[in-house]
Amino acid sequence: MSLSAKANDTGMEPGSETLSGMYDNVEAYYSARVAKHGATPLGVDWSCQATQSFRFVQLMRICDFSAPFSLNDIGCGYGALCAFLAMRYPESRIDYLGVDLSRAMISRARRRFQSPDRRFAVGKAGPRVADYAVASGIMNVNVGYSRAVWEDFVATMLRDMRCTSRRGFSVNFVAETAVARTSAGSDAASLYRTNPEPWVRYCEQELGCAVETIDNYGMREFTLLVRCG
Amino acid sequence: MGRVIQDSTTLDVLSKLNRRFGPDDIAEMVHLQKEFQIFSSDRLLEDSFKLLGIVPCDRLERERWFKFLGKLKDYESDLPDVNGYNRVILAFEQALTVTPHIPPRPALPVFVDVHAMAKDPRVTFSLEGTPLIFSVQPYRILSIPTKPGRVAREEAADAAKERRAEKSKK
Repeated sequence: MSLSAKANDTGMEPGSETLSGMYDNVEAYYSARVAKHGATPLGVDWSCQATQSFRFVQLMRICDFSAPFSLNDIGCGYGALCAFLAMRYPESRIDYLGVDLSRAMISRARRRFQSPDRRFAVGKAGPRVADYAVASGIMNVNVGYSRAVWEDFVATMLRDMRCTSRRGFSVNFVAETAVARTSAGSDAASLYRTNPEPWVRYCEQELGCAVETIDNYGMREFTLLVRCG
Repeated sequence: MGRVIQDSTTLDVLSKLNRRFGPDDIAEMVHLQKEFQIFSSDRLLEDSFKLLGIVPCDRLERERWFKFLGKLKDYESDLPDVNGYNRVILAFEQALTVTPHIPPRPALPVFVDVHAMAKDPRVTFSLEGTPLIFSVQPYRILSIPTKPGRVAREEAADAAKERRAEKSKK
């Protein structure tokens, strides 16, 4: 894997041609999904609401709900996390900002959930520093890029999340052993699968964080809870 | 199934059910059940299947599928005083609830099957069997009575004819 070569050494700086092209392709992929399936789990490549929500359960473990906090949702899609938060944590005060590359997704998210503490922005990374960031499924579909190039993209995304999270962030990956049915719409070849170890190491050594791996929730994937500072 | 939804939809739904509750995915389903109580007496069966995305893609067929699920309330089951609708809920609830055991016993997958209503009009659930002749994998087996759509339509037409004849006699 190309983790030894840091993202900055491979031309993967924000604004670089490769990175820009990747963002365009990811944006096109998800805009096509939501155009086909609407604001539904299938529209963001999950098989159903139950598995989508179960991923949120794991990701939100990073947050301390005993006090109000701010949250960046990277690759927020149509804002499904808002519905989950309303159902699961109705009493919690969460200053939420959903960010997505796809204008079509953000448009649907705004229509459904926009409110003073539920805001959305089109973009590549969190435009603000928040207490926490979460990202569900954004590392999974490699839209045809090679493993090495995609891993540089993943590293870039993790670094962005680190830079914009005061307390921590969480992210999930398809596990290496998985068969190709984790994402509902993507085929086997386009799925990026990995083991926790290299990304745990990356977050610990390159980003200076403490990492907890959750991989025992019955899905062929794992979630990293990355604590900063 | 049968008269209510198209044969192709029946096959599609059975395929979805047997994939989600099959050997590869049953552990995921057990965790989902534990977290969300997807199958429970507090939740409509229609909502359980919506949550799991086990619904036909076509909107009209989806409505018919929900209609079919509702009709299961008129079916009998292999449990006394439990209708077919509640039997399906109980069966999945039971299949996806793992009781502590040493050594741990993984949940068995669930095979969702259909059988001829003429032979047994009840929704049935058996705790263990090997429904696939090409596999020794044990399953729990949930079976729904059905009859071919054409037979059901002919029976309905005959019944209507009889009613009309009775009416004209009077």
